[in-house]
Amino acid sequence: MTAPSLASYVTKRPWLSKLLKPVAGWYSNAALYRQMGLKADDLISEENADVLKALGRLTPKESYDRIYRIRRATQLSLQQKILPKNEWTKPEEDVQYLSPILEAIEAEAKEKQALDTLVPSKAGH
Amino acid sequence: MICRSALSRGSKLALGRQGARGFAAAASPKASYEPTTIAGVKVASRDDNGPTTRLAVVAKAGTRYEPLPGLTVGLEEFAYKAGWPLLFFNTNKRSALRITREAELLGGQLTAYHTREALVLQASFLREDLPYFTELLAEVVSQTRYTTHEFHEEVKDIIHQKQAKVDASAVALDAAHAVAFHSGLGAPLYPTPSTPIDSYLNEQAVADFAAAAYSKSNIAVVSDGASEHGLQKWIEPFFKTVPAQGSGSLNNVASKYHGGEQRISAVGQNSVVIAFPGASLGASSPETAVLAGLLGGESTIKWSPGFSLLSQAAAPGAQAKATNYAYSDAGLLAIQINGQSAAVKKTAEAAVKALKGVAESGVSQEVLVKAIAKAKFTLLSGSEVGGVGIVHAGANLIHGGSPLKVAETLKAFESVTGDKLKAAAKALLEGKASVASVGDLHVLPFAEDLGLQV
Repeated sequence: MTAPSLASYVTKRPWLSKLLKPVAGWYSNAALYRQMGLKADDLISEENADVLKALGRLTPKESYDRIYRIRRATQLSLQQKILPKNEWTKPEEDVQYLSPILEAIEAEAKEKQALDTLVPSKAGH
Repeated sequence: MICRSALSRGSKLALGRQGARGFAAAASPKASYEPTTIAGVKVASRDDNGPTTRLAVVAKAGTRYEPLPGLTVGLEEFAYKAGWPLLFFNTNKRSALRITREAELLGGQLTAYHTREALVLQASFLREDLPYFTELLAEVVSQTRYTTHEFHEEVKDIIHQKQAKVDASAVALDAAHAVAFHSGLGAPLYPTPSTPIDSYLNEQAVADFAAAAYSKSNIAVVSDGASEHGLQKWIEPFFKTVPAQGSGSLNNVASKYHGGEQRISAVGQNSVVIAFPGASLGASSPETAVLAGLLGGESTIKWSPGFSLLSQAAAPGAQAKATNYAYSDAGLLAIQINGQSAAVKKTAEAAVKALKGVAESGVSQEVLVKAIAKAKFTLLSGSEVGGVGIVHAGANLIHGGSPLKVAETLKAFESVTGDKLKAAAKALLEGKASVASVGDLHVLPFAEDLGLQV
């Protein structure tokens, strides 16, 4: 499930995007997931049919890397540690690898819902 | 000819009319498809002003042309999966679900199937919906996205289901083609569960094959029941997106007849195919068509086995039929026998004996007339039935020929004499046969035992 987001509203307005970018960068760092070697999309809850379907559509490499990051983060959490600074996720590495697939799956479901509840009307009405 | 006193008054009248007028109605131009070219796309059309239309894209992408095993079935199953709505790619194109629902709302039917030479995407719909379905077919050909997840989630499952349905008769026919033509036409029409296709068949290979197959030079549009004006108007704008030349190459190997024998053990079903070189699509060899009519097999009249040699040769528990499989540069006249093993063996022996009988002593005039009439009916009804006619017209066009001239072919059938038929049967038996047996090999006969050369 994708979280509600104002991202598309913001990115359409360059001035707003320029204004908010440093804040967003600060927030991402402050959230501490990068210090555990995770990417933002690793935080999406798996307990959802759509997300499971999207995970199934990852390439084997993406899927392997994701599990590796999550296991490493679990281990760090257990040991109450964070990674050495050179192993933190860099901002440019923190790409959305799952959200686009998830969005497509949700759009598909939405389209199906819309088409399954069509009401035919007479032409010209 | 036929002993007239044996016939009732009505049939005498019919015979008389036949002599006087010939097949006037059948000879009218409507029976044949007219070839044209619209905006670089080869088009064959025929319009009988009926309320429904059949429109098909016939691509030169049958199993014969696939560069790797299984690609044709992969491409066939990907048809009408125009892709998912990609928000971040900004395509406005329709999803597979939308295509299905829209076609349902218009009462249309969408099918995709393949032969050894052609892959056919066919839409049947009400006459006034021509623009919608023309656009749809053009979109399927040029805009389909061959996605990884659809391949794994849907296409693979369907292929496995269809593979499970491949029966002994299909395996035997494939095996006969394989020994007759080796590669090319010898590729199986549908891969069996034991055909290793997994290492070749993936969405990337299918996409590459589609890029090679779906180009203006490699497809033909065949329409049955759409107006000339409508085709002129709609094909040009919608097929603009189809590339003129395909990228990549197809497996283009000329067919050569080899012949031989193949035996495959199988449980439960038995099938024997005895095949000889037949007539190709463009060839004018009316003897082969008449010989296929003479061998016949399936009774077309209720409560009677029929006059045909194979239906009389068939032992109880087995069915036999003869078909001339015509391809662009080769043909295969195949006798297919299915049923219980002992009955299949008996029928195979009787069938070869019957063919030898034709080669040695010819046929009576009465049987010849029946065989010619049967061949004529098969040709005419075949060109009328939506699917068969469309595939033939399309296959002719994509191979650079012209659609079947029905009237001329019918005239050629008339010219077949008993001597010609005798010579044709003799030539078949003297050449090499292609024999395939599938089933209980302890019972099924070897080609040599049947008296055939392989």
